[in-house]
Amino acid sequence: MSNKFRGLALVVLTAALLLVNFATLHPTTVRAQAKKKVCFAFQDLETEFWVAGHKAITETLKAKGIDVIEVNGNQDANKQLEQIKDCIAQKVAGIIVIPQDGDSAVTIVKEAQKADIPIAIFNRPPTDTSKGIVVVADNKVIAQQAVEFLAQRALRQVEITGNKVTPLILVGDLGDPNAVGRKDGFYAVIDKYPALFNKPIEVATEWDAKIALANLEAAITANPNIDLIFTSSDFLFPTIRSILEPRGKWLPRGQKGHVIMGGLDGDATACKLIKDGFVDATGVQDLYYEAQLTLDGILGAIDKGETQPNRVLPDPGFALTAGNIDFREKDMWGCRLLAEGFLNKK
Amino acid sequence: MTSVPQRLSSAPRSTASTPPLPRRLWNALRGLLLSEYFILYLSIAYFLLISLFFPTLLEPSNLSNQLTNIWPLLTIAIGQTFVLIIAGIDLSQGSVMAICSVVGGVILSTSLSKSVMSNSPLWGTLLTEKGGILSGDPNAVLVAVLLMVAVGALIGFINGTAITRFNMPPFMVTLVSLLFFSAFAIYLTQSRNIANLPDSFLRLGQGDIVSVYLGEKATPQIKRTELLSLVTYSAVIAVALGVVAHFILSRTVFGRQMYAIGTNRRAAEISGVPTRRVITLVYMFSGACAGLAAVIYSARLGAGRPTLGDNLLLDIIGATVIGGTSLFGGKGKVLWTLFGVVFFTLLLNTLNQMRLSAFQIDAVKGSVILLAALIDVTRNRFLTGGRVA
Repeated sequence: MSNKFRGLALVVLTAALLLVNFATLHPTTVRAQAKKKVCFAFQDLETEFWVAGHKAITETLKAKGIDVIEVNGNQDANKQLEQIKDCIAQKVAGIIVIPQDGDSAVTIVKEAQKADIPIAIFNRPPTDTSKGIVVVADNKVIAQQAVEFLAQRALRQVEITGNKVTPLILVGDLGDPNAVGRKDGFYAVIDKYPALFNKPIEVATEWDAKIALANLEAAITANPNIDLIFTSSDFLFPTIRSILEPRGKWLPRGQKGHVIMGGLDGDATACKLIKDGFVDATGVQDLYYEAQLTLDGILGAIDKGETQPNRVLPDPGFALTAGNIDFREKDMWGCRLLAEGFLNKK
Repeated sequence: MTSVPQRLSSAPRSTASTPPLPRRLWNALRGLLLSEYFILYLSIAYFLLISLFFPTLLEPSNLSNQLTNIWPLLTIAIGQTFVLIIAGIDLSQGSVMAICSVVGGVILSTSLSKSVMSNSPLWGTLLTEKGGILSGDPNAVLVAVLLMVAVGALIGFINGTAITRFNMPPFMVTLVSLLFFSAFAIYLTQSRNIANLPDSFLRLGQGDIVSVYLGEKATPQIKRTELLSLVTYSAVIAVALGVVAHFILSRTVFGRQMYAIGTNRRAAEISGVPTRRVITLVYMFSGACAGLAAVIYSARLGAGRPTLGDNLLLDIIGATVIGGTSLFGGKGKVLWTLFGVVFFTLLLNTLNQMRLSAFQIDAVKGSVILLAALIDVTRNRFLTGGRVA
């Protein structure tokens, strides 16, 4: 019994101390003493795109003298929500987030706007894009541009061989609106040329290289005559290579048996593979442009005192192909990284 | 004539009753370690110490935020407490949450996109463009909550039956359940979230019943952003569950039977305790708690998620063990689990404030849980090897 009273007394004493602190603590004073804080919440940086995006955003913010609070959600939507709420409790001036998926992004935006803190979503849009500053590439259009080039290659092949081309698409996590857009863009072109293509084979990847490896292996084994592959993300090219090369199907343009290949993102690996002739086209999200749009959007909202800014800032993107690489590679972020020796540092 | 022996009236007072200082200190430390409020004292001391370096911890908004993080974890940790008391373990709670979250989504969703969900085996039957099976129905929320809890209890029944009827180790049974039900949840939805849940359900994870404003009322209107959550729907759910669980453990024969089984199952059997029934019911309770936690987390995140609870197992077991529930069985209380959850939540809050990387935070969490397990072993040694303070 005495232990209980001791415990209770301690709790009451602590509560009293805390109340005194609450009465005297002025959050505005604390804020005034610190520099402007921006919370940057992201998921694991598993691909070149996210690594480069993270670097572009954090370095620019730090260069502007802004205190960046970085939190990694580790692919856990609930953890990311708690981290965002922690940031809100720390009274940050703004939030930039790369959400786990489109649904959790809606919840996160709602929390930030409830607290009157401007929030920007980088590249992976919420399922409802009417809230928050949403920076997003038009994945369907970009994928269409890349696959259109592949279709022209397919046309030449059909003219030579007389046989339809069998296409395969590696589909991303369809909880991510980007993956949905890329799939739609692929099918928009395939359905446009029924005379060129057999029924496409779909391989699920969930944006995970291990899952992609297993599923692609099974698909190629079941369908050895696949002669066109489109990957929803360039980070899967090494996985594709690991399956095609042992089968003697990893061949550059011009060689008999070359598998027509395309992707989307525009990373350094894709740039190199296009130059080397193995890949024919990739859709490019203009990473540095998107990072700039995000930063301009959030910092502009903070400066103007906007608490619930809502706008979509689109990145039109483009397709980098074997046909235009010579004069467009300077526009592709992956090629710029490649020129800086990015792949040599790995 | 008798006389009082001089010795008795004038004998000096003996000093043997006052132990030397080091021994008193040792007894005090032992008493503290064995105290059932040890984790509470530790939480308070830790919090006050760290807040000297990170004063934002004391901000009312931060404290309110931490309260909202406590309730969902407490809900599921109560179930784990019951299982640990009978010297079992339930590794499947995360996957039970996932499958229950999917069940909730299938019932509640108000609209779905064909391009996203058409590959699901449920598409066209239980899921359509109009949503789930009770889309728009006023009773949908109640039915969904009851069914989520029931599905959790059913999985618990399967676990309990496998453990008692087939004498399989709890670790193995619940590990298999973890793998199977996680995969099943993902198969049913093809990894897609079932979104567009009704607002009345979302309120269970996001809504306030009582909000407070702290500070001087300088203006007639109080700004919305200065209102803090105090009592939320998830708090009511967690506290109600806690009260029921505490009652079961401390006031019922069933509770005493649980402790008996956890202390020595064989002796309990010989004493007439219906061990099979008790163990099965405990696993059902654990599953039901996971189902209830799925209600809160799904409402919080706004979707039926087939990957819900993926990374939660360490937090659940860690918070329960930190609170003082013994991994060896026979010892545990709901109040201790509450203390453990509070400490765990505080720990994560402070680690986030320190701006550690995700991997450093996981390393610290693991170390703290290991320390808690070591303290549990030490406490057991004191209790069984020495006199109780």
